[in-house]
Amino acid sequence: PHELHMILLFGSLNLLCTGCLLMWCSSTNSMALTAYTYLTIFDLFSLITCLISSWVTMKKPSQLYSFGFERLEVLAVFASTVLVQLGALFILKERCVYPPTAHIGRLLVGTFVALFFNLLTLLSVRNKPFAYVSEAASSSWLQEHVADLSRSLCGIIPGLSSVLLPRMNPFVLINMAGALSLCITYMLIEINNYNAVDTASAVAIALMTFGTMYPMSVYSGKVLLQTTPSHIIGQLDKLLREVSTLDGVLEVRNEHFWTVGFGSLAGSAHVRIRRDANEQLVLAHVTNRLLPLVSTLTVQIFKDDWTRPLLTGTLTASSSPSGAALTSAEGYPAVSSSSVPPLMMSLGRELDPLTSTPYKPSSPPPEFSFDTPGRNVQPVVLPNPGHNTHRPYGGLGLTYGASPYTGMLNQGLARPSSSLGLGIYLKICGTFSRRCSISRMTTP
Amino acid sequence: MDEKYSSNVLSGGKLGMVEVPDSRLTRYIVLLVISKVLKALGIFESYDILKAVHIVQFIFILKLGSAVILLFFQKPFSSGKVISKRQWIKLIKHAVFSCIISLLGFFGLTLCGPLRTLLLFEHSDVVVIALLGVLFTSSGGGPSKTRGAAFFIIAVICLLLFDNDDLMAKMAEHPEGHHDSALTHFLYTAIAFLGVADHKGGVVLLVASLCLKVGFHTASRKLSVEIGGAKRLYALDNLVSSLVLLPWVVVLSVTTESKVDSWSSLILPFGMIIFSVMILEFYVEAICNTKMETLRCARYGTIALFLSALLLANFWTHPLTDQLRSMSKPPQQVSTEHVLSGGVLVSAIFFIMSSSILSSPSKKGQKGTLVGYSPEGTPLYNFMGDALQHTSQSLPRFIKDSLKQILEEYDSRQIFYFLCLNLAFTFVELFYGVWTNSLGLISDGFHMLFDCSALVLGLFAALMTRWKATRIFSYGYGRVEILSGFINGLFLMVIAFFVFVESVTRLLDPPNIDTDMLTPVSVGGLLVNLVGICAFSHAHSHGSKSCSSNDHGHSHHGHSHSEHSHGGHGHSHGGMLRATPRNKASVFLHVLADTLGSVGVIISTILIQQFGWLIADPICSLFIATLIFLSVIPLLKDACEVLLLRTPPEHEKDLNSALEKIEKIEGVLSYRDPHFWRHSASVIAGTIHLQIMSDVVEQRIIQQVTAILKDAGVNNLSVQVEKEAYFQHMSGLSTGFHEVLAMTQQMESMKYLKDGTCIM
Repeated sequence: PHELHMILLFGSLNLLCTGCLLMWCSSTNSMALTAYTYLTIFDLFSLITCLISSWVTMKKPSQLYSFGFERLEVLAVFASTVLVQLGALFILKERCVYPPTAHIGRLLVGTFVALFFNLLTLLSVRNKPFAYVSEAASSSWLQEHVADLSRSLCGIIPGLSSVLLPRMNPFVLINMAGALSLCITYMLIEINNYNAVDTASAVAIALMTFGTMYPMSVYSGKVLLQTTPSHIIGQLDKLLREVSTLDGVLEVRNEHFWTVGFGSLAGSAHVRIRRDANEQLVLAHVTNRLLPLVSTLTVQIFKDDWTRPLLTGTLTASSSPSGAALTSAEGYPAVSSSSVPPLMMSLGRELDPLTSTPYKPSSPPPEFSFDTPGRNVQPVVLPNPGHNTHRPYGGLGLTYGASPYTGMLNQGLARPSSSLGLGIYLKICGTFSRRCSISRMTTP
Repeated sequence: MDEKYSSNVLSGGKLGMVEVPDSRLTRYIVLLVISKVLKALGIFESYDILKAVHIVQFIFILKLGSAVILLFFQKPFSSGKVISKRQWIKLIKHAVFSCIISLLGFFGLTLCGPLRTLLLFEHSDVVVIALLGVLFTSSGGGPSKTRGAAFFIIAVICLLLFDNDDLMAKMAEHPEGHHDSALTHFLYTAIAFLGVADHKGGVVLLVASLCLKVGFHTASRKLSVEIGGAKRLYALDNLVSSLVLLPWVVVLSVTTESKVDSWSSLILPFGMIIFSVMILEFYVEAICNTKMETLRCARYGTIALFLSALLLANFWTHPLTDQLRSMSKPPQQVSTEHVLSGGVLVSAIFFIMSSSILSSPSKKGQKGTLVGYSPEGTPLYNFMGDALQHTSQSLPRFIKDSLKQILEEYDSRQIFYFLCLNLAFTFVELFYGVWTNSLGLISDGFHMLFDCSALVLGLFAALMTRWKATRIFSYGYGRVEILSGFINGLFLMVIAFFVFVESVTRLLDPPNIDTDMLTPVSVGGLLVNLVGICAFSHAHSHGSKSCSSNDHGHSHHGHSHSEHSHGGHGHSHGGMLRATPRNKASVFLHVLADTLGSVGVIISTILIQQFGWLIADPICSLFIATLIFLSVIPLLKDACEVLLLRTPPEHEKDLNSALEKIEKIEGVLSYRDPHFWRHSASVIAGTIHLQIMSDVVEQRIIQQVTAILKDAGVNNLSVQVEKEAYFQHMSGLSTGFHEVLAMTQQMESMKYLKDGTCIM
């Protein structure tokens, strides 16, 4: 309620201010001020977006809108950025058609009133969706230049770096830049009576608006287009590779991953598995891998030729549990430490010449390239296998999942270190798992 | 501090060029500055001399004089290799080009005055090459270079627009007979043909010849290696070009009478110019380029030159001119001679800034993307980005391919033809407007052009739909159409809003509208849009009638917007049009609005023409704006629903019954998380999770469910089939960690190790 009151208060203030500004625009006949006024109108849109986002958090998914209303936020951001850009386009068009002569009038007053209200709104209302988009979208050309300038400025005065670097808030930036260009316009018209400056500054403000809004509308538009966010792709690829090295998995296809609102990922994938693999087990493992990243997940498992009955006989009976049955018997954590499945797969291949579906030839190499333990460690068959089987799991379970889920953006950074830890750890207990799997194989 | 925040990789460890500290180079810098100051002086003086001496004669004397001195110093014939015949031919070509460039440069000097010439023409090669690199290649070298290029352009524009040089007026007055020779006369007529004032023509000429000069210098590098050094080439070049100019000078001096009374009084100035402009500067630059880096040399040289030019422009009193004038003509007021103006001052500042930015060494190392960490912990970077960017196909090829794609399919072909027709009409209108100087026509042309942007957007979206799916666009690009429909809807809303606001202001104060031009233009527009209707009548039942676009009182442009953008919009919903009855209704609404709007415009025109009811026009505009607004709302609502992933309303019933059927399949216990949404015109996607009994074969269930949902219209489906075992596995996998963690903590406290229990 408090936030709601704030938003409503600022909205009414904004309306008042916009009305004043529009009046001054028509009295000064200045296009630059009109272009600047559109920024105030944009602030109104952003307040509306804020309102929508607070409404969205209360709303539950309905039957028709099964993904919930988080997307409404994205749509509001997209619509408001596009509307402002269209306004800027109108300014440019008007420039081409009728260049008017501007008067000074209340130009300076208008500028400062607009700047004050804009900054007040920006700084006092916590606008979640726009804050997110302005963080996540690529930086605009205005930001690039300011960052470049301020980098050299911070070389002289290091204290400024906390304010100016790495990049400034785009909305604050465009408000400042617009006000600056309006001040220059005012000065030049006042001193030299250069009326053409008004046009130039209107075009400049329109271009800056374009530059600021374009990356944001591209970002939110991509969310609306159900695309895979490009910063996620590396992580996703890694997970999918891990999935495809799971025992029994032949390939992953039709993978669709996209963001529902700002942040939460949804997706679906089809996983083709060997005929003799255990569907539910593979499904559980695939889901377990992907679920930390993709919160709304659907995995379809399919087999080729499932109508044809499996080969029966003692040979298949002994070979078919190569991976699946074995792992299920051993317990989960052993499988989830990622170096073990390929190992078992290779064992299964040696032992199982009659498997009807061939192994996927293009299956990528095991995920962890640093010191994969299974390769370097000599297999040792212990005389008393039954004793060893239980040893490692407690420890294995500890390390697995030790990588904390720290949010989507910085997970890519967090990941390598944790996997490194896993690798080191595997060096220690790889021997055990290897040993026990072999011991299982050798004892029929 | 700089390195800390920059993302470049290579400069981090000071791997780049090591700069020599300034203190060791002071001698050379001082020498450079002195030579540049002298050069500025020389240029100022040559401007004065050029008033009396013909330009060709002037250049001939310069070249000859410097050739004599250089022959004395350089001895190009007695030293070095023997020059072959082919090289002589190349030398002659080189000399001809250098003559042309100096002619252009000095002609620009006569037009613009010395200060502006120095500002425009005397840029170092590296600066200009960096500028061109920023403008015409994608990898300019970071935002600072872009800023430098922008400053350069702003400076040139300042000279063109804001520099009200008083002399221009005087120059414009001069009669055609004033021109001395055929050459200058030709150049003058060329500039007059361009339709700009003389001094602006001079600015353009100087910029063009600057580019020529840089290109010429780059091209002559090979020749200088062949000849044996830049200095030898320079000496020979001066000699040959004076020989080339000789016949012209002879003819000139025979045919025209000289304005100079005594050549002897000019010997000293000429000597000074030859020394400072041609010889000293050349040698000093050569030395400085070897002792310092070229970039630094360019930076100091340019700054010194521009500053001294500014000072000279302020204090130079044209001593020589007065002397010459006192000999020949009665004195005029000197104050009008290319004085310093605010524009020139600003542009000089911008030029200095841009040349110092552009000539600063680019610190940007190659940008890499962080790939990961090596086993030792050092970061690994990937530099593939640039290499990948350059593999994109060329622009003409892209245009050709996309044209082919457009023409392949019926819908996009129709839009394309309509767009072409619209554009052709627009350009005819624009040209006719410029020809007859009718503001109304021009503005209407711009409006039409603006409208076409919506059409282009629709066309581009239609084109993109056919692109293949990528990693990022995993479903394909079909949804782009819906997004472009949404943008077009917003576009229409904005247009309606503006028309509404304008018509309200007109309602309060109805302006005079002259309807003279209305008739022919409206007939033309009507014809164009009739063709559009014919073209669209099959594919989409709403083409456009744009009688309204022709009201050049520009009150009804809203209407013209409406229907052009509807063209694009209609297409972008083209696929859905077949699928959804609601879209058909909204499209029908559109057509209705269009028709009513155009009827309204015709009525208002008639009313104004017959009865002079000026208020009819804004009322019609209001009416049209409201109609557009009302008709856009359902379209926007539809697009919003698709974008918000609503269950497609036209499939709602089918889906519900399909879900009921699924529940009744043998072995299915229940379902959860059913998501169905329209991805694009042709794709309806869906995901569902099923719980089944443990003795049922999963694949059979998947097959049945897929078949049932396919009947309901879902064509991109993922079914997750779960048995009880799945939940057991999942609970084992996901909760195992926490349980085991808690357990081991317990165990540690108890100092007691129990082997792998309670995982399940």
